[in-house]
Amino acid sequence: MSKVLATYNIKGGVGKTSAAVNLAYLAAQAGQRTLLWDLDPQAASTFLFRVQPKVQGGGRGLVRLRTVVAEQIKGTDHEHLDLLPADFSYRHLDLALDSFNRPTSRLGRVLEPLQDEYDYIFLDCPPSISLVSESVFDAADALLVPIIPNALSARTFEQLEQLAAGGKQAPQVLAFWSMTKGRRRRHRRAMAALAEGHRLTMLEAAIPTSEDVEEMGEERNPVAVFAPRGEAAKAYEALWAEVQDRLG
Amino acid sequence: MTVELIAAEPPSLGAIGVALGPALTVGAGVDTTTERVFYDTFDGLLYQAGLEHWAVPGIAPRQSLSEAAREAIGVRALLPVAHVRVRAKTAPLLDSLQKTVARVSIERLELAQASRAQRRLRPRVVLVPLRGYDSEVEDARRLLQAKLECSDADQSLREEAAIGLGADPAGTSSAVDVALSPVQRADEAAGVVLTRLHQVVQLNLPGTLDDVDSEFLHDYRVALRKARTVLRELSGVFPPERLAALRGELKWLQAVTGERRDLDVYILDFDLLRARVPTEQQPELEPVKRVLGHRRAAAHTQMLKDLGGRRARRAMNDWTTMLEYLPRLPDDDRPDAARAIDDLSSERIRTVYRRMLKMGAGITPGSEPEAYHELRKQGKELRYLLELFGQPLHDARVVKPMVKALKGLQDVLGRHQDRDIQAKMLRGLADRVSAEPGGAQALMAMGVLVQQLEDDAAAARAEFAKSFTAFSSGEQRELVKETFRG
Repeated sequence: MSKVLATYNIKGGVGKTSAAVNLAYLAAQAGQRTLLWDLDPQAASTFLFRVQPKVQGGGRGLVRLRTVVAEQIKGTDHEHLDLLPADFSYRHLDLALDSFNRPTSRLGRVLEPLQDEYDYIFLDCPPSISLVSESVFDAADALLVPIIPNALSARTFEQLEQLAAGGKQAPQVLAFWSMTKGRRRRHRRAMAALAEGHRLTMLEAAIPTSEDVEEMGEERNPVAVFAPRGEAAKAYEALWAEVQDRLG
Repeated sequence: MTVELIAAEPPSLGAIGVALGPALTVGAGVDTTTERVFYDTFDGLLYQAGLEHWAVPGIAPRQSLSEAAREAIGVRALLPVAHVRVRAKTAPLLDSLQKTVARVSIERLELAQASRAQRRLRPRVVLVPLRGYDSEVEDARRLLQAKLECSDADQSLREEAAIGLGADPAGTSSAVDVALSPVQRADEAAGVVLTRLHQVVQLNLPGTLDDVDSEFLHDYRVALRKARTVLRELSGVFPPERLAALRGELKWLQAVTGERRDLDVYILDFDLLRARVPTEQQPELEPVKRVLGHRRAAAHTQMLKDLGGRRARRAMNDWTTMLEYLPRLPDDDRPDAARAIDDLSSERIRTVYRRMLKMGAGITPGSEPEAYHELRKQGKELRYLLELFGQPLHDARVVKPMVKALKGLQDVLGRHQDRDIQAKMLRGLADRVSAEPGGAQALMAMGVLVQQLEDDAAAARAEFAKSFTAFSSGEQRELVKETFRG
């Protein structure tokens, strides 16, 4: 049985795709059979792995189980790491899901035939509160939530907690600081304030704002490939170690 | 799917780039030299299952075996088929997004342990697609075939290497599988079958002596038993004196290999048997396994002495000699020699079938185990007659269901006999086991196991009536009468 991990945040531009791509790469490097499903119609992960953003039959074909999901998977240039590409039609995925009696179970159904094939399945989710995110909560064993340390953090937490608790089987929620600028002490204070009254787990690891992360778009590779000794690569390694630890 | 092309001369990466452009470009190449030792079982089980397995020299072949391969080989050992040295240049094939869609390898190949003249194998161009890029590789295959002197590989590397060494890539079969004609003289047909059986015994002898895996001895003994069936059932085609002597010697060969085979079966079944006692008592049976191991080692040593001795060699020679002389001997004391094989074998099949009907009808749940054993022996006789003569001479559509009905009965009888023998053997081990450390607990667990085995034997006896009814039905009788009219 594979572990399903979703990078999620209601807000965009907080480092979801970077986290999904880099963590999936690290899992694969360790020899774990890994799949990344790029659920975001903007197709940033798909672009980073140089794959055409195209799925036969689109998102509707997948959630209706008409398209054989295994046939849509593309091998990336990295060993043990495969990609289920994004498709522009994913922007209507909510509508496609809405036509089912139990819409939130659909993504899990799509992934079912892949459960024995992969050790980890990463879901890179679009920023929204929608049927898609609810389906992700149903399918995922854990949500990896990048949080930018600012005033909105607390509100983001509350929204997340409500949403995640509403799912059939609430996933573990592992939040981590993203795009930090070196003031760890301030983050810790903010974290302590947040942790009060929240059931969410705030991880120690923090991903710094880094040129390496920005250069991923140019290099079209995970940071560990082109800047393995950089601060960002090390931060993702620490994050992945902590996530694995928490998953048990 | 991986594509393998054979090239007269290995092309350069540059030439491949020109052939595949502009849709695909070739990335930087890396040179490697690797060695592959291909493995299969003696009887080519991997090859027949469409599987292939290789390991680098010095690595135990079972270490990286796939689940499917493990299942295909069962208890058989993996033996080296060929040792190939691969000098490869490997490069990525990139699409217009600079995405790797496949890897191409230009492979220069040679057999590592062959004479200089035999060593060279044909160069290959191997295209391995990344997942989801099969169609790109299909296009690349077509372009390489059209623009370079390449063609689809007509043999896998493993096949080519095995053939290069003079071996059959499908392995060594122990099947009899000889061509017979219904009107052939019976002595000639018997000679053809016995010649092949002699060959099968000889083929399986080295692996039996070296104790490579338990199937060598099994196949050795099956061929021996089949030969004894031919000698017994077709006795009228052989000169009586030589026949009696040879039958005696083959019986002796069967006997001196019996104990090791019984212990092989016991040890192979041990884990299944152990699972029959309560979980907490299972570890207590360890001394039994140890004693079985000691006894098997002793039985193997004794068997080596017997099979390696003069008597065994002479028995095999006598077998060959009789077959050589058979066509030239007068018919006077061989009343069935000139009969058509179809006529004679059909008569024997009918007779053995009738004998089984009579024996089976007399068996009740209260009968002694020996009655079941005797019926099983006749069942084996009938099965071998059907396989050796029934199938080559008659319509398979008729003979196969007959063999199936017989198999159903034999399974029940076999289970009964195995459990009966195993229970008796366990009782016979009691003294030895009690002398082992932990012997007292083992004896108690053995008691539970013996009870289980006896229950199994009783269950098989209860099933007997049903399978015998199917075997002896009016329809079956009619079928035997119709098919084997002679």
